[in-house]
Amino acid sequence: MTALPLFIMLSSADRDKLQLASMIASVAAVSERPVHVFVSMGAIKVFDKNASGNDRYGDSAFNAELCDKNAPDPIEMFSQGKMLGDMTMWACSMVLDVLGWEESHLVEDLFDGQIGLTKFLSDAEEGQLIAM
Amino acid sequence: MSERKVIDARGSFCPGPLMELIAALKLLQVGDEVEILSTDQGTAKDVPEWCAKVGHETVESGEKDGHWYVVVRKAK
Repeated sequence: MTALPLFIMLSSADRDKLQLASMIASVAAVSERPVHVFVSMGAIKVFDKNASGNDRYGDSAFNAELCDKNAPDPIEMFSQGKMLGDMTMWACSMVLDVLGWEESHLVEDLFDGQIGLTKFLSDAEEGQLIAM
Repeated sequence: MSERKVIDARGSFCPGPLMELIAALKLLQVGDEVEILSTDQGTAKDVPEWCAKVGHETVESGEKDGHWYVVVRKAK
């Protein structure tokens, strides 16, 4: 039986949310469940290739503990999910337009392209949608 | 002849041990085994659950010397 695809919509730079989203995405992707991640609003700034380390994340309730313990970085986990499983990542075309960014502004080898919300929502009708 | 590889993922947080296991399995032959060592208690349940879902075999699992271990046989 084919697993129901998982669609994850990211809109926040909050480290807690991105940490959990990357865990969900990577584990689902390596568990033979197709995963599609749509990055919009403030979350896109986290994927700025010029940002560095923990400075790329907004503060959050659990951020200090995650940093102190060297918990795996969300971007690293999204990359692992893509490398080891069935995962695609999309940048929201609207926020790239607002920021005046091209796809080349984003972390390399992570995104499969940019799409609009309408296309993502349409695709998500075939699976389960999580918004964080 | 099948072999057993040991991966020491102690100190790695969830889902790190699972990811390390999967990366290792990709490089092995069907019938080979991997033993994953972890200090993350969730590994002891997560890895067998993952194996059951994707079709690999959990040979044994348990706790020893303050960490958890799971032995997985690559089945496909």
